[in-house]
Amino acid sequence: MKEEYKIKLIKKEVLGPTCAVLTFTCPEIAEEAKPGQFVNLSCEYFLKRPFGIMSVDKEEKTFSIGVRKVGKGTEKIIGAKEGDSFTVLGPLGNGFPFEGIRKLLLVGGGTGIFPIYCAAEYARENNIPCHVVNGYRCKNDAFLYDKFGCVCSSFDVTTDAGDLGMKGNVMAYLETINDSELTDTTVMVVGPGIMMRKVSEWAQAKGLPCYVSLEQRMACGIGACLVCVCKIKAEQEGKEFVHKRCCKDGPVFSAEEVIW
Amino acid sequence: MSISVKVGSVELKNPVILASGTCGFGRELAEYMDLSKLGALSSKGLTLLPRDGNQGVRVAETPSGMLNCVGLQNPGVDAFLATELDYMVNSGAGVVVNVAGHSNEDYIAMVEKLDPYKDKIDALELNFSCPNVKEGCMVIGSSPNAIEALVKDLRKRTDLPMWIKLTPNVTSIAETAKGAEAGGADAIVAINTMLGMAIDIHTRRPLLHNNTGGLSGPCVKPVALRMVHDIYDAVKIPVVGCGGVSTYEDVLEFMIAGASAVELGTITLVHPTRPVEIVEDLLKYCEQNNIDELSSLTGTLELWR
Repeated sequence: MKEEYKIKLIKKEVLGPTCAVLTFTCPEIAEEAKPGQFVNLSCEYFLKRPFGIMSVDKEEKTFSIGVRKVGKGTEKIIGAKEGDSFTVLGPLGNGFPFEGIRKLLLVGGGTGIFPIYCAAEYARENNIPCHVVNGYRCKNDAFLYDKFGCVCSSFDVTTDAGDLGMKGNVMAYLETINDSELTDTTVMVVGPGIMMRKVSEWAQAKGLPCYVSLEQRMACGIGACLVCVCKIKAEQEGKEFVHKRCCKDGPVFSAEEVIW
Repeated sequence: MSISVKVGSVELKNPVILASGTCGFGRELAEYMDLSKLGALSSKGLTLLPRDGNQGVRVAETPSGMLNCVGLQNPGVDAFLATELDYMVNSGAGVVVNVAGHSNEDYIAMVEKLDPYKDKIDALELNFSCPNVKEGCMVIGSSPNAIEALVKDLRKRTDLPMWIKLTPNVTSIAETAKGAEAGGADAIVAINTMLGMAIDIHTRRPLLHNNTGGLSGPCVKPVALRMVHDIYDAVKIPVVGCGGVSTYEDVLEFMIAGASAVELGTITLVHPTRPVEIVEDLLKYCEQNNIDELSSLTGTLELWR
């Protein structure tokens, strides 16, 4: 039977005024979590808040998430101190499918870089060649810049401001990749909707399998309440779309089935 | 020591029912609790045809609660009968089937489809109260006369216990409850969600893409309690209390106010194991307070004069 775990914040690494990496002790989540899955974490407000898992340490029995302040709940969570208690549900949802994958191109943006980091770690542990391309606003916003360099075969960044890596967004970088380098590549992308859409279209044009991790306002996170639905193509059912639950049926979907 | 209760002719092993729309058909919550420990499950609101529900943002958090505008996304009554009813029956909890129509004809058609399954269903819960669809439901449920007429018609078509789930979005819920009783209902379920709104001050648009939604959670409990009390005073048929129940003390409050059983749901979305914990707490409460029959608490409220 699954449980709601009582957990403690054991480490808070501040990345900037509105962003932090939080590490919690939770043997069950550390043991089970897969890249692309998420946790639903308590805050001082009524509903829990969903966060993509950034990293797990099975030996230390911990997991980490990246949190960016986007509202009251995330502000409270970022303001927590080491030793503070939380309750959590997880790991939730379906992660990225890694079976049979030979080569990875991971693309991250916004808070999407945290689950992308998890996928990069997994790829390293499983000897899957992995190229990460992250899009940031500017150098000061380039969270985990040093860490990514250590977990993947190659790491490139773009910044809107142009003060780190290539100037522009991730699409500017992707357009420079030679088709020959893309043989056998699977694309995974997590970031703002417009970015995931553009990367998906690019991948489809190149004939590359592509997975995205969708985000919606959630309540339960376990598939019971139906508030976090997204539109998924349903031609086989004779319909334009069906509403699937981001939390339970996703959050990872094959890009070609998503209606943006 | 017994925590079993009766809602009219329907016997439940305890008063805890998962409210419609917060538990699907039980499958997801079965990962977190043994459903057979519950009094009953009330199914997701069913419509005659499958429904995709509303598009866009469907939830907004509010102080001590939430707004939703799911809009009755459900597979339709036929798919329910084919794939979900047996799952609910096998869960070991009592089976309440929530029926939501767009018109009187819809309710009639659905009741006629469900009636042959009376061996598997403990009660029909007629949803006259969903605030998130444009037709039927709350429109019918706002008029005592419309409720009476429809319940009377449905009464001729089924012997299944008919519980009427009422909306709080009326001037007098005692009057709508009386309409249901006059029509031949077996019980009243109160309350469904309260119509509400949340606004993004930056975009000056409603947070919910349906503009309005149904408010639920601990914030509605005082209103729900007052309404259960009003209904208990107004009708002779049993009342099932619903609205913000989150602890065993809340269950007791509703029972004292007049409820024979309670439904709960929004709390399950935050703490999915809570319903079975409440059942255990109720048993402990009875043991510690030498209460032989939990059901003896129903309607024991003593008002100040």
